[in-house]
Amino acid sequence: MPVTPVYIICSPRPLVGKTLVARLLSEFLLLKNGTVNSFDINLKEPSLLDYLPRTTETADVIDTYGKMQLMDRLIVDDGIAKVIDLGFHAFDEFFKMTGEIGFLKEAARRHVAPVILFVADLDRVSARAYPMLQQQIPANALITIDNEYVVRGELPAAMEVGRVLRISALPTFLKTYIDRLSFSFTGYLRNERDSSTELHQWIRRNYSNFRDLELSLLLLGS
Amino acid sequence: MFAPKAGDGDLPIAPAVGGAVQGNSMAKPVVIVVGADKGGVGKTTVSRTLLDYFSANNVPTRAFDTESPRGTLMRFHPDITEIVDMTTTSDQMKIFDTLNAASPSVTVIDVRAGLLSPALASLRDIGFLDAAKSGQITFAVFHILGPSIASLDEIAETANFMVGAKYFLVKNFINDTQFFQWDQATYNSYFHRIKDATELTIPKLNEMAYEQVEVSSVPFLKFVANKGKDDEAANYSFVLRGYVRHWLANVWSEFDRIKLTDLVGSGKPITRGGEK
Repeated sequence: MPVTPVYIICSPRPLVGKTLVARLLSEFLLLKNGTVNSFDINLKEPSLLDYLPRTTETADVIDTYGKMQLMDRLIVDDGIAKVIDLGFHAFDEFFKMTGEIGFLKEAARRHVAPVILFVADLDRVSARAYPMLQQQIPANALITIDNEYVVRGELPAAMEVGRVLRISALPTFLKTYIDRLSFSFTGYLRNERDSSTELHQWIRRNYSNFRDLELSLLLLGS
Repeated sequence: MFAPKAGDGDLPIAPAVGGAVQGNSMAKPVVIVVGADKGGVGKTTVSRTLLDYFSANNVPTRAFDTESPRGTLMRFHPDITEIVDMTTTSDQMKIFDTLNAASPSVTVIDVRAGLLSPALASLRDIGFLDAAKSGQITFAVFHILGPSIASLDEIAETANFMVGAKYFLVKNFINDTQFFQWDQATYNSYFHRIKDATELTIPKLNEMAYEQVEVSSVPFLKFVANKGKDDEAANYSFVLRGYVRHWLANVWSEFDRIKLTDLVGSGKPITRGGEK
């Protein structure tokens, strides 16, 4: 029986593309599985809720009640993939809490598979945050997102050691296009007949990467 | 997806909760008094962690709750707890005349607020403290301190009775107090006044987690194991259970540090998940 995946997209830095990855992944899972539960833990950044209001709900980790509301749902093995868009302001508190309550160990017991997608940046805050995650998260559950739009050039060597998922940069006009609240990646694939367009191929490439990620989960869960 | 790393949230699992366990019947009796003259500092909470710790370490234990007629400790550990009025001779007999006869080798007494000094005076009067001094009985006092000078003032008063006893000064962090550590002169004048006292730190437990255990009226161990009063499956929040598990592991690591199992004559503590 396949595990229930919980994708946590995170960075201690704002504006590195977390919500973009969360949108892409949510739409991919919705297309593939017909269902997804996305959680928006953002107060100060562009919000996943604005893009995918039908499948997204807000959550917070400011107080214990908020943590209960969120984590008690993430730990359920209901077969529905979860996507967490974790705002930079909640990064420290979230991982402090998951360490304290033994989230990873309990998830393994309950057939739930957290996957941490760390969106890399070149600054010192990110450089400090990554080893903290390495300490808490097993290597095969910690994936670095190399967003070419943010990391122009090589990733820091420390972040290259594990699995890396690359997202190529789009030209500015296409970036503006996909940033519109009404834009849907899956909708574009369905409606745009010319599959040779740059955006078409960019979306397909990212969806393929996510499919590979899902397959690796299936293999490990079997 | 992965095998979790060691030490990221192991349960401090007990092999038996509240049930009868076998111990060393030849061991000399151990009496642990948990008290403070000030109220609301967490005496019963510490008593509960002690009972859970002994249960997890297979140390047969009985408890007396002196909050007569209603006992808080009794509510959480009804199987091994009896409510007594320590000011009456009959109940004093019930506790101390049965020390050698009773099968559990460890007796935990949760002394209600304001009764610690009178209780110790009574123990002195009946010759109990002399018996401890001569090594016939192992006697330990967990003196729970609150974040106030009044609470610290009790130290000197209580220390007068501590000859022959193991004296533990328990800094119970019921809030974000510093116990005057920011003022070294004040801190030293209280905590370094008693030569043989051992300091113990009980960290703060998340408020909602504490309240949820209160509502559930079960031992901390049962709460962590997601069980109800009669061992039936419960549905406590995973987050709150996680907070309690983490906190309890930290409290027990303090008990391990002071070698509490050695004190009660049961050897090394059982191996548990390493959560510090």
